[in-house]
Amino acid sequence: MSNEKEILQKLRDGVVEYDNDMVIEASNEALAQGIDAEKAIFDGLVAGIEEIGRLYELEEIFVPEMLLAADAMYAGLNILKPHMEKKGDGGTKGHVIMGVVQGDVHDIGKNIVKMMFDVAGFEVHDLGRDVPLEDFIEEQLNTNSDLVCLSAMMTTTMVGMPEIIRKLKEKNPKVKIMIGGAPVNENLASQWGADGYAKDANNAGCY
Amino acid sequence: MNAKERVINQLLGKEVDRPACYSGMGNVTTAGLEQFGYKFARVHGDAKMMADTAASSHKLFGFECAIVPYDLCLEAEAIGCVMNPYEQVDQLLYPTIKEKVCHSEDEMETFPIPDDVASRGRVPLVCEAIRLLQADIGSEVAIGTYVLGPFTLAGQLMDLNDLFKLSFKSPAKVNAMLDRLSEATIKIARALRDAGADYICIREMGATTDVLSPKVFQKVIFPHLKKVRDALADVPTILHICGGTNKIMNILKDVGCNAISVETKNDLAKSREDIGYEPLLFGNVDAYNILVTAAPEDVEKAVLAALEGSCDSIWPSCDIWPTAPIENLKAMTETVKKYGAEKWVRKNR
Repeated sequence: MSNEKEILQKLRDGVVEYDNDMVIEASNEALAQGIDAEKAIFDGLVAGIEEIGRLYELEEIFVPEMLLAADAMYAGLNILKPHMEKKGDGGTKGHVIMGVVQGDVHDIGKNIVKMMFDVAGFEVHDLGRDVPLEDFIEEQLNTNSDLVCLSAMMTTTMVGMPEIIRKLKEKNPKVKIMIGGAPVNENLASQWGADGYAKDANNAGCY
Repeated sequence: MNAKERVINQLLGKEVDRPACYSGMGNVTTAGLEQFGYKFARVHGDAKMMADTAASSHKLFGFECAIVPYDLCLEAEAIGCVMNPYEQVDQLLYPTIKEKVCHSEDEMETFPIPDDVASRGRVPLVCEAIRLLQADIGSEVAIGTYVLGPFTLAGQLMDLNDLFKLSFKSPAKVNAMLDRLSEATIKIARALRDAGADYICIREMGATTDVLSPKVFQKVIFPHLKKVRDALADVPTILHICGGTNKIMNILKDVGCNAISVETKNDLAKSREDIGYEPLLFGNVDAYNILVTAAPEDVEKAVLAALEGSCDSIWPSCDIWPTAPIENLKAMTETVKKYGAEKWVRKNR
């Protein structure tokens, strides 16, 4: 069906070209044409974001462009997601808690990683930025989330991470913890007892 | 030649005996705080506490400077933001801005910047700390300070996500805001200079090429850095950019500061290919993975690598994280003292 193909292409291009209006139009067209919402999200919007991720890795585009693409993607996701058929298990792949550690107010990296989890079908509990240690622990206990993602953009705040990891593991040894952010690296992640480290949002999505 | 002469003469392009070991970013240590029984969260609001602890880095491990302040909120606070010093938190945290002054794209050109910004917030307090430092150890070591680059400052006054998007989408709008902010930065920097600062580091840490394209850097970041630098012609300035900087070394050179400081991610050899051996290049000892968590032997290796990589003075790649062990910091200053002259690439070429 060439029409479906065109609409999916338009969704993808809208994201790649940071064009919110194009994505909104294509999303409405997709629904009007009876295209499966999940297909529109994954073969349209996510395909666009994957291209953006590829261009980012090649350093052809940078963070501002990625944020604009994310806006366009969310413009489509907001329209399409309510039409996704619920899956048997309640429609979610799992629960994720995310937040930027206390003392750090830089949430751009976290927001981009959040987007990857959103499109991958996770339910994201976003604690925002400058999040005190206790809030991570409380939210984990309340939601019984499988995964907690900690972000820090500055050396001066990433040093709070080991304490949060230790306390989270103490309360729930089964919880998986992933850390990310400019100053963090794989060595520190394993040294501090984290289960995963994501160099960038692409890799976080694969986790 | 004492530390002060070494630092200042080198910045002014005069002959010196060896690279110095100092910084243009925060240099407070936990050891320094403990010596006086000061709590980190309180130091930011007290000139004497600030000066005491800044001087302790020279006294404890031979750092060839003292720097105030330690936080990055000075300008934003003077413009009208509210700072959170985290007084109620046990762990050591740097202050952040909790209330911004620019709440939307429309306000970027209209939010007020007080004319007397240089006498607001803690600017007078930091000036006082500089005067206290000059009186205490100013005859021996250089007394430095820093200001934020206009883009980094803008990121504290408005939502950073919006600022990034606009710098790509509507550069003219961002440029208009940064032009206004650079005036404020210049006023504050001049007040710090008048208080006796021997040099000023301009920290444009929000604009690394890890997040912004070299094109945006040229168009939106560079003009304002240049404006700030040109207005401060009568005091030595050092430009510090975090993260990957190799793609913009030529732009950094064009800003025209007395020296450029880069961090660990910078490939020094590649930098010299781009800008040549004439500009002073400072760096680039990892402030956490080396100075805090490694052993003194590793510190020595890192310092030697920076010297061999053509750094003209050895700077930590960011603020010294306060818990850095004194043995490591001593290893840093001692290695520069011992091998600096011999390994100095500028002298060996």
